[in-house]
Amino acid sequence: MHATKQQHDFEPKIVSFVCTWCTYAGADLAGTSRMQYPANVRVIKFPCTGRIDPVFILKAFQKGADGVLVSGCHPGDCHYMAGNFHARRRFAAFRKLLEFVGVDLARLEFSWVSAAEGGKWVEVVTGLTESIRAMGPMTEFKELKTEEHWSGQLETAELKEAYDSIP
Amino acid sequence: MNNMAQKIEATTPIDTSSYASATEAIRAEAARLLTEGSVTAVIGYRSGKRAGTAMPAIVTSPEKAAELIFSPSCVNNLALYLTKAKKDIRKTGKVAIVAKGCDIKALAGLMGESQLKREEVVILAVACAGVKGSGAATGEPLTTANIARKCRECTVHTPQGADSVAGSLSTLPELAPLEAEELARLEALTPAERWSFWKKHFSRCVRCLACRQVCPFCYCEQCMCDRNRPQAVETTPRPAGNMAWHIVRAMHLSGRCASCAECERACPMDIPLNLLNRKMAQELKELYGHEAGLKPKEKGPLAEYREDDDQSFIK
Repeated sequence: MHATKQQHDFEPKIVSFVCTWCTYAGADLAGTSRMQYPANVRVIKFPCTGRIDPVFILKAFQKGADGVLVSGCHPGDCHYMAGNFHARRRFAAFRKLLEFVGVDLARLEFSWVSAAEGGKWVEVVTGLTESIRAMGPMTEFKELKTEEHWSGQLETAELKEAYDSIP
Repeated sequence: MNNMAQKIEATTPIDTSSYASATEAIRAEAARLLTEGSVTAVIGYRSGKRAGTAMPAIVTSPEKAAELIFSPSCVNNLALYLTKAKKDIRKTGKVAIVAKGCDIKALAGLMGESQLKREEVVILAVACAGVKGSGAATGEPLTTANIARKCRECTVHTPQGADSVAGSLSTLPELAPLEAEELARLEALTPAERWSFWKKHFSRCVRCLACRQVCPFCYCEQCMCDRNRPQAVETTPRPAGNMAWHIVRAMHLSGRCASCAECERACPMDIPLNLLNRKMAQELKELYGHEAGLKPKEKGPLAEYREDDDQSFIK
């Protein structure tokens, strides 16, 4: 029997970008081994971590993710020889950029999980879910989405009235 | 804010007497190259319609070489005219280009990215004490108050590795590195404060994309930010799309940017874009020892890797 699921006030949405050769297989192994891990993580499969563009991470945050996990093969194990080496440099730079823009880096995690590391996958996902649950929802990008451009702000009573009178 | 800081400093004129001899040297060299037919065009500056202004000019006959000038108003980075985005100029054959130190960095970057071959271009370098920043009146001379922010920290006043160098500089004043100070100030803030700083700036962006059009490194024929299936970045000038655009722009330029600060100059909304570029340049120097220089590099820092790169941030 499964243990009864604990009820939480906040269930974070976590998007994980994984490489098909290592981490996806690792997550699969966790599943077939019947290990339990939080269902907060949405797995998106890519051919390689080298295919994961920083724009995808940005897009995930914009679409309402509270956390993002990027995971792939250990260095040296890449199916395409060097994809994860290139990704490593790119993400190192991207992290610094996001930090400078003011994104909390605790919401973005990177890991190497091989096809044999089902246990590590469970550990990484559980850890990230719990830490993001403690941090609460990611509001920065969501707020941006609802905000209007400065020229679109209904700052004056006349503008507001004109806007409201639109049938 | 930036202008305020500049006004506090005492205004002293900067010696630009060498610009007259630089102008002469550029004219002579351009006329010589065009007469002997070793180049088909010279990309340089000429006077604008209003006195004290300058604009890019492409000169194709020796008689017109006398129109070329160099002055503190020659702000543009002409390397832009040699990228793939401006195909028509390159089609004519070998060209000569007037370049300040910062522009030569951009040329070196383009050569490193195989956009340009060194033997296809004659570089007429200029010994440059600095050019005027935004907001400087057309008539006024170059001073420590109206000099462009990038010129305050210039390390390539007299560039190396060009085909000729026009003019020679006397001693230059020591200027406070305003941009580095601003960067340090931002770095010391909390992430939430930085977020509100950038949110304030980016929400003013009108998405005219002048920063992209003026950048020598934004030469992609199809920008990913213009694509809509799938749409990576919202194209309307609203805060969400603006934030994404500026993050993507900074990311795509990291490790490539030559810090010519043209994006910041061209920005009609005065968004301090070069701070982002500076920050990324600084990080890539710390991480991988990369610095934009006057010599072309075969591969940029994000196009190569080492097996022992830092991975302390990866679990």
